[in-house]
Amino acid sequence: MGGSIAAAVVKPAVRGAGRAADAALEGLLDSRLAGDVVERLAASPLAARAACGALQGPLVEAVAADLVRYRVADRLLSEGLLEQTTARVLEGEEFENVVQAALESPTVERLIGSAIESRLLDQAVVRLLESDDLWLIVDEIASSPAVTAAIAQQSASFADQVAGGVRSRSLSADAWVEQRARKAFRRRPAPPPGPRAG
Amino acid sequence: MSLAANGAHAVIRPAHAVEATAAPVAYVGIVTRAIAFAADAAVIHFVAITVAGTFALILSVLSPPNKFDEAILVVGSAAYGLWLVGYFVVFWSATGQTLGNRLLQIRVSRAVDGMVPSPSAALLRFGGLIVAALPLFAGFLPILLDDRRRGAHDVLAGTVVVSAPPAEITAVRS
Repeated sequence: MGGSIAAAVVKPAVRGAGRAADAALEGLLDSRLAGDVVERLAASPLAARAACGALQGPLVEAVAADLVRYRVADRLLSEGLLEQTTARVLEGEEFENVVQAALESPTVERLIGSAIESRLLDQAVVRLLESDDLWLIVDEIASSPAVTAAIAQQSASFADQVAGGVRSRSLSADAWVEQRARKAFRRRPAPPPGPRAG
Repeated sequence: MSLAANGAHAVIRPAHAVEATAAPVAYVGIVTRAIAFAADAAVIHFVAITVAGTFALILSVLSPPNKFDEAILVVGSAAYGLWLVGYFVVFWSATGQTLGNRLLQIRVSRAVDGMVPSPSAALLRFGGLIVAALPLFAGFLPILLDDRRRGAHDVLAGTVVVSAPPAEITAVRS
């Protein structure tokens, strides 16, 4: 009987105390002071030493072992997190900025220049030219409908150009010959093109 | 588009044919026509030589008796004549354009209405062409002097040769 009374009194008190502690903790975490403290801690040599010690110690191996044990990578992959992250990185402005900066940097330019001048590239080109697969690809592309259509179109336009030149010259020759003939036969000059007679 | 029958030859008459009668017509002169004719001659002879060569090869293997030589010559000549006449008559009466005409963008049409000539008119024009060439090509001289640049064969068949840009040809066919 005494135990049940004690339970009835103590339990609500404990629950109330717990709620008060939660509220106090939340208030503390939201406070500016807590933020300042964390920032100062993170910037302090103490945090650097702690991180250094953790990395030097067995923590890294333990974390790695746990990652393998709990198949963290598999879980992340199966949940599509990696795809989402990759998509976000590729679509984001940050990636574009990084690539842009890399392309504009003199170091990358120098690296690309030395790669082009290196023997490795020459050897790669020689091996590529010697491979049968390359010529298969070239044959495939050369016989593709798009390429044959483009060549045919170019040939046709060249033929049109030649025929156009012949036409314009022959029309001039028509007029010239006719003018001389009319003069020789004392006929009036040819009338300009007009509506169809008849 | 409407069907217009004229004599024995019915042609598909385009809707714009009436407008064409009012549109300016550029009659084609002798040089352009000569070039077109030369192109036609090249096509005709290329085909004729190819076919004749093929038959000559076949006959060289078959070795027919000599008594058939004359018959082969007659048949070959008749085939050549038919090919020559057929080439012009069919092209003129079908589209108004031989391959050479097409190259030079010119067209043979009836003088009265601008439509393609009938097969009989085309045949008459071809006959007139031969006759015009016989007296040292004198039959073509009127092309230089006539206001519509018509030769004797054109007058005979009632045709003219006009400029025919591709757009116009497409319109005539549609």
